[in-house]
Amino acid sequence: MEIIRIEGMTKRFPVGNGEFTALKNVDLSIAEGEFVGLVGPSGSGKTTLLNIIGSLDTPSDGTATVINQDVSSLSHKQSALLRNIHLGFIFQTYNLLPVYTVYENVEFALLLQNMSATARKKAVMDALDWVGLTDKIKSKPAMLSGGESQRVAIARAMVKKPKIVLADEPTANLDSENSHHILQTMLKLNKELKTTFVFATHDEKVMKYLRRKISLADGKVIADELMQTEKSKQY
Amino acid sequence: MLAIKLAFKNLMGAGLRTWLNVIVLSLAFVLIIFYNGLMDGWNRQARNDTQDWEIGNGQFWHPDYDKFDPYTIEESNEVISDEIQTLIEEDKVTPLLIRQITIYPQGRLMSARLKGVDPNQEIIKLPSADIRNSQNKYAAIIGEGMANATKLKVGDQVLMRWRDKNGTFDAHEIEIVSIFNCNVPQVENGTIYMDIEVVQEMANLHNQATMLVTSRDYENTKLEGWEFKDLNFLLAEFDKIIESKKGGGMVLQSILLLLALLAVFDTQVLSIFRRQKEIGTYMALGLTRTRIVGIFTVEGAAHSILAAIVGAIYGIPLFIYLSKVGIYYGNIAKASGLTIAETLYPYYSVGLIITSIIIVVVSATIVSYLPARKISKMSPTQALKGKIQ
Ligand SMILES: Nc1ncnc2c1ncn2[C@@H]1O[C@H](COP(=O)(O)OP(=O)(O)OP(=O)(O)O)[C@@H](O)[C@H]1O
Ligand SMILES: [Mg+2]
Repeated sequence: MEIIRIEGMTKRFPVGNGEFTALKNVDLSIAEGEFVGLVGPSGSGKTTLLNIIGSLDTPSDGTATVINQDVSSLSHKQSALLRNIHLGFIFQTYNLLPVYTVYENVEFALLLQNMSATARKKAVMDALDWVGLTDKIKSKPAMLSGGESQRVAIARAMVKKPKIVLADEPTANLDSENSHHILQTMLKLNKELKTTFVFATHDEKVMKYLRRKISLADGKVIADELMQTEKSKQY
Repeated sequence: MLAIKLAFKNLMGAGLRTWLNVIVLSLAFVLIIFYNGLMDGWNRQARNDTQDWEIGNGQFWHPDYDKFDPYTIEESNEVISDEIQTLIEEDKVTPLLIRQITIYPQGRLMSARLKGVDPNQEIIKLPSADIRNSQNKYAAIIGEGMANATKLKVGDQVLMRWRDKNGTFDAHEIEIVSIFNCNVPQVENGTIYMDIEVVQEMANLHNQATMLVTSRDYENTKLEGWEFKDLNFLLAEFDKIIESKKGGGMVLQSILLLLALLAVFDTQVLSIFRRQKEIGTYMALGLTRTRIVGIFTVEGAAHSILAAIVGAIYGIPLFIYLSKVGIYYGNIAKASGLTIAETLYPYYSVGLIITSIIIVVVSATIVSYLPARKISKMSPTQALKGKIQ
């Protein structure tokens, strides 16, 4: 089933007096449960595309349909609701709330949803279990290593069991061991929860795990290939 | 709930900066409550003293009497009717007969006011019984301030000259039999008290009075031939003084409050600027912008809640101490020419405290909201990048 559909989409940014075209006439379709990477050199438009899929930004031309909703037609409130319920975000810089503990950071994503305290507690503990951090629930982000921080961020993105997780360079600040660990966790969740994962990355370590690689260059899709790597087959 | 929890965690996380803001804000709190409490305490005390010494529960004036016009005094007399005589005997009212006179202390000429008072009255605090206890028919009592102004001491004789109702001059030595201490200036300034019957005889105004002072429990406001002046009228001047003092105090309080609010505002601007990525993260997590504005507004406003708590910690003991021990004004009180006791006891009403809390919390909320509004114009992607200037 198609979960993301992008048709003839162009994104232009105003720069100075003119405009800069970051994405040019992109067509793309991603099905539910895919494990996709957007790869390409710096400035090729990966983040821009991810932001539009995440309804954090809107296309200048064309359409982006995410879970049957046209991103450009959503009001602020509607797009917030879409993100709150269906989308999980993972950032290169983790973006944890510094004043909250690990537990509270993960719980935060659920506080906006109507959920009983017991159900919430269970969900948070489950999510921390997936990423192997149940022993750090009382720690503050400042006390965590980079790998641990990113795992908290994954737990936060996953705790609400979103349909899509969007991850922008999730391993860029991590060493290879942590990167592998993170990727394995995501692959496992992708498998168990049928969550669709879309990455933006130029990290070779990540490529090995991808089952589909969409290559961008200069705002255009230049290749879209299915991968049969060892790692991705393992799961 | 979410916003409140987050606000307090963020504030605690901000450490020193938060506490500096909170302390300045709490100073504003405490100053506002202290000063207004002092004024309210003064007001209450002064009203009470003025009632005790001068006006009881109001005065009945002769319709022509005007306290600012000495010429009306000579004409403003009324016969004390049987009905009023009964009230006097029941200790409900006491008559005063007021005359313009001249005295010659140390050979100097000085015009003054002679008030005839019933030596047996117990309605005003004036020690009128001292007049009764003297053998001298021309026994007089004066206040300390008047004694200082005239250099008269107990036992001194001084020449007094007056006119009777027909304008005929007469003169006699009067004797100061006691000097009283009173913190209501208008009761003693330029005033000499003598037995009302003697004054009536001197002025040839038998059984007449200029005004009747009511006792504190007397409620009636109508007496045939007399005009009732209620407390609001009689204390209007004093109320004005209190208002202007409060107004004067407001300048300092406002400046301090403004400084504190400026600090909160500055903290807000800075924190919104520095925490763009966090704001972007909230957006990505699905919080609406309104909600994020709310979170930041609550966070700024929470300074005022902390300030109320911190202010309470050092303010309440201070206020309790001051309202027990009072603030000694001593000679300043006398010199001021205002109705003010030597020791002032501040009075902190629930109304005052609630009003101050509302003022500080509302103003802190406004200065927190103003910079937070900017968030609703942020684009999520720009916020996440942290590139908004
Ligand atoms: N808000 C913006 N205003 C102007 N130009 C922008 C804006 N956002 C992105 N761009 C430009 O669009 C192009 C694509 O940016 P994008 O961030 O999508 O690249 P990327 O592929 O994610 O690169 P990187 O690998 O370095 O993260 C870049 O040239 C960038 O300068
Ligand atoms: Mg990028």
